[in-house]
Amino acid sequence: MKRKRALALLGAPPLLARCVFDPSAVRVGSKNFTESFVIAEIYAQALERAGMRVERLFNLGSTQIAIAAMQRGNIDCYPEYTGTALIDVLHLAPISDSRAAYAVVARLFERRYGIVWLDPSPMNDSQALATTRAIGAARKLATLSDVARAAPQLRFATIQEFLARPDGLPGLQRFYGGFRFRDVRTYDIALKYSALLEGRADVASAFSTDGDIAVDNLVVLRDDRHFWSAYNVAPVVRKAALAARPQIARVLNAVSPAITDHAAARMNAAVERSQQDPADVAAAFLRSIDPSTPLRMTK
Amino acid sequence: MNPSAIRFKHATVRYPNSERNAIEDISFECGGGELVVLLGPSGCGKSTLLRTVNRLVPLDAGRVCVDEKDVTEVDAVELRRSIGYVIQAVGLFAHMSVAQNVAVVPSLLGWSHDEIAGRVDELLQLVGLDPASYRNRHPSQLSGGEAQRIGVARAIAARPRALLMDEPFGAVDAIVRTALQRELIRIVGELKTTTLFVTHDVDEAFRLADRIVVLRSGHIEQVGLPHELFDRPATAYVRDLIHAGDDVYRRYFMHGRELLRGQPQ
Amino acid sequence: MSYFATHPLRVAALAGGHIELVAVALVVALAIALPLGLFAARRPRVAPWLLGTLGAIYTIPSLALLALLVRGFGLGFTPIFVALVVYAQFMLARNVVAGITGVDPAQVDAARGLGMSPLQVLLRVEFPQALPVLLGGVRIAAIAMIAIATLGGYVGGVGLGVLIFNGLTLHQPQMIVAGSLAASALAIAIDALLRLAERITRAPAGAR
Repeated sequence: MKRKRALALLGAPPLLARCVFDPSAVRVGSKNFTESFVIAEIYAQALERAGMRVERLFNLGSTQIAIAAMQRGNIDCYPEYTGTALIDVLHLAPISDSRAAYAVVARLFERRYGIVWLDPSPMNDSQALATTRAIGAARKLATLSDVARAAPQLRFATIQEFLARPDGLPGLQRFYGGFRFRDVRTYDIALKYSALLEGRADVASAFSTDGDIAVDNLVVLRDDRHFWSAYNVAPVVRKAALAARPQIARVLNAVSPAITDHAAARMNAAVERSQQDPADVAAAFLRSIDPSTPLRMTK
Repeated sequence: MNPSAIRFKHATVRYPNSERNAIEDISFECGGGELVVLLGPSGCGKSTLLRTVNRLVPLDAGRVCVDEKDVTEVDAVELRRSIGYVIQAVGLFAHMSVAQNVAVVPSLLGWSHDEIAGRVDELLQLVGLDPASYRNRHPSQLSGGEAQRIGVARAIAARPRALLMDEPFGAVDAIVRTALQRELIRIVGELKTTTLFVTHDVDEAFRLADRIVVLRSGHIEQVGLPHELFDRPATAYVRDLIHAGDDVYRRYFMHGRELLRGQPQ
Repeated sequence: MSYFATHPLRVAALAGGHIELVAVALVVALAIALPLGLFAARRPRVAPWLLGTLGAIYTIPSLALLALLVRGFGLGFTPIFVALVVYAQFMLARNVVAGITGVDPAQVDAARGLGMSPLQVLLRVEFPQALPVLLGGVRIAAIAMIAIATLGGYVGGVGLGVLIFNGLTLHQPQMIVAGSLAASALAIAIDALLRLAERITRAPAGAR
């Protein structure tokens, strides 16, 4: 698979053809964190296996950039989360129930943006707060309510988006009360956990499928009052792109159901901790679910 | 071949920010293959006057005619290709060989490859250089005298009927200069080219000129044969100019040009 | 270094894309800078203003310019391509001006006097002699562009910058190292190549 892909890269059409819009390529985007990368790569490879030409525009800076890119036609599809769509894009209240959340975003995105939601994955990468086992034990932190109370003695590491989004820190403060941290620092999304692991922070914002959680023995603090929204991932596709190539739906819908919490966390860890190439990880995943080549995903 | 006639009628060129003009109301004519020297101190306008003939300097008033045709009525580029041009700094093209330099105008005129090759060799011999050893040299490999000989060869390559020379021998040492002057007389005599020669050197003027035009501050002081300037200077300035140097030497030379013309090379 | 070993074809493909991006941008930049520089070289009073303006543009941080261009052109190849063309103008135009104005004026005078048209003077005398200086400008521009083009990985999915920025996102330092080393190697290679070209085109010294 790697060789075939590499050959495809070498055979890429000349640059000048890329200057002019190439209608035959499906453009897959991703946001700038590992999980988005890996899932987008899964989508991209699935489409390539189905015989379509794919262009990858990964590492987009934020949800806003991704949506803008979709609307401008720079990309045709990317993996989006129901919770993010609900709160960041539609500015609605969080919905904890996965099915309900999906129904709302699917309907409104189609109506307002001409963007279609394909089938969602079982994986629920909800937001979370995490801490080390040591700190959790020492300060008796097991739930969000615990953190809300103990916040004035705690240092918080997070990303900029978390401080701005309504279901980020402001929402927690409103919903739970408390959460007035002694110190709040923002980091690049790629460097956030270092602060926690190196002792410069006590609690960090997180996502429940972060690879670091699996590998570093971090503790996810339980959302005991169900504040946070469901965050199921699904491919979102531009209506026009789907109309031009309806097989996109068939291909991606075949892949979505296999992406579980477990699979996602393992893939995240494989990339970030085992330093594997996301392309290899995605390829292994696809091999594992393709009935024609029943290889177990061991790496 | 008929050498050109050059006629200046009230030629005037203004300086951009000055009351004084570079050249003022200049009128004279020359032709028939004669070598006319424009003589004067620096700033007298002699170079400017020279460059009005090939339109490197535009006239502000008056006319310049070459063969009865006003130079402004002919395409400037075509005009220049029919008039030879030699400057003190020579200006050989550093990225071209000697042969390519000499061949410039013929190739602009579309001569055939063979015609050009033959002409280059002919010219190199004419200016006293062995074609075989000089053809492929580069300007950086030439001495001052050699370079200016090539400059002359380049200027006459397409058989112009007029030749403009702006202090061409000013940058070489005295011995080389004398040799070049002799060569020039010989060449100009052979080619029957009307030549305008600019210099500030009175000795050089007397050695080379059929006639001399003395200029000062943009005006003509006197036009005449060398011995006329010597015996009957028209103004005090001309008298001081001519007699400032070695009179005996000059007296010899003003009649000695005939002798020089006959000298074997 | 290990990323080179495990993914040689990917690095090669991205390097190829990087070279393509810089090469195309350089050609387009030259097509603009040559007439622009020529225009300035013929007008000594205009030249300082023009070069000054281009120099000011050059100091705009590349990421900021890129963000502006993404607003106008979207993502992908175009914004980084335009940014490269814009930044290259300063270095290229400046060397065009220096090259043309540095040609021996005696040779230009002789060329005109002998009967070359202005275009012929430019093509047969000025340009060949300005070529070494011009190539020097191309060399400097190319190296700067190889570096700036790494930002193509941030917005365009093009070139070795993809390795660098992906490596940052995915917490994979070996990708970052691979991308950076490859870009540096490219810069060194292009520098050597163009220095050679400069040397070949340099006319024998000492014009007469």
